[in-house]
Amino acid sequence: MTQDYEVEFVERGEREARILVRGITPAFANGIRRAMVADVPTFSIDTVRVIENTSVMFNEQIGLRLGLVPLTTDLDDFEIGDEVTLSLSVDGPSTAYSSDLVSSDPMVEAADDNIPIIDLKEGQRLEVEADAVLDTGREHAKHQGGVAVGYRHLQQVEVVGDLGEFEDDDPNILRGVIEEQAAEHAAGDATNGELVATDEFDNDLRNRYPGKDVEVSDVPNAFVFHVETDGSFTTEELVLRAVETLRDRATELKDAVQL
Amino acid sequence: MDLRVIDKSDTELSIEIAGEDHTFMNVIKGALLETEGVTAATYDVNPEQSGGQTDPVLTIKTEEGVDALEALEDGTDAVIEKADSFTDAFEAAA
Repeated sequence: MTQDYEVEFVERGEREARILVRGITPAFANGIRRAMVADVPTFSIDTVRVIENTSVMFNEQIGLRLGLVPLTTDLDDFEIGDEVTLSLSVDGPSTAYSSDLVSSDPMVEAADDNIPIIDLKEGQRLEVEADAVLDTGREHAKHQGGVAVGYRHLQQVEVVGDLGEFEDDDPNILRGVIEEQAAEHAAGDATNGELVATDEFDNDLRNRYPGKDVEVSDVPNAFVFHVETDGSFTTEELVLRAVETLRDRATELKDAVQL
Repeated sequence: MDLRVIDKSDTELSIEIAGEDHTFMNVIKGALLETEGVTAATYDVNPEQSGGQTDPVLTIKTEEGVDALEALEDGTDAVIEKADSFTDAFEAAA
């Protein structure tokens, strides 16, 4: 049994991407999605040693906020359980930002510079030392690298006729990505086979196929993944690592069965 | 990954796979259903709070002459192949 997948990028960015995969079963697609959310590890602050906290918030509240700061994670160099120490020292009056976190390892630092941790007034001071640990989203949601990860069927639109001249002009809202199959009826430039995100025509099929009666259907075994990361790593890294965790588990089960 | 065989005959296998959840179980089940010689494959898992059997139990039935344990091994091979093939296709597109 050989499987051939076809992968195509609909949208591609460091932190957000839409990826079309053809020839994939729903079971495998959902396995990849779940693995992206729960099984790809990222660094997150887990232990905080408070040296001075004269801010208006309790140590625990500061600890929670620090835990939620995404940290860049290079999965080639670390494994689950590894720790990296960061420190933060800010004097009021000013705001402590994620960029004030100083890491002992340049590979692990705040993914965003502008996350406010707490606003400090005159005379207030926050100094902490924190240990970030590499773990998975299964353990705690702060370790999730993938945020807003999901998929939809690729869809195709068939023009089945004209709308009657006096028919109600109701919106025909569609979300996701369509594969153009009726370019001759489409408004503007269109070629058959091109992938069109529905927000390009404001999610309303009336704008794409003016005056036409259309029917929408799913393309079998073709899924469009929407992948967004918290900045710990790129979308590509997230997808590949998720597939790798599935592969690792299959290998582990195979070895266990062979014994 | 700890395995515990619950029931085993030539063409039937019930096996507990500790520490796994829907993420992997549904993938392996899907792969088993596409595997030659497998007539039925399913898994059952209970929520953490149920307090009972919370590790998934995979059940496989195979055609006469096909060993269920070997079928499971073929299933894992299929998952590995899927993963490799997906990685190749993804890297080619990236």
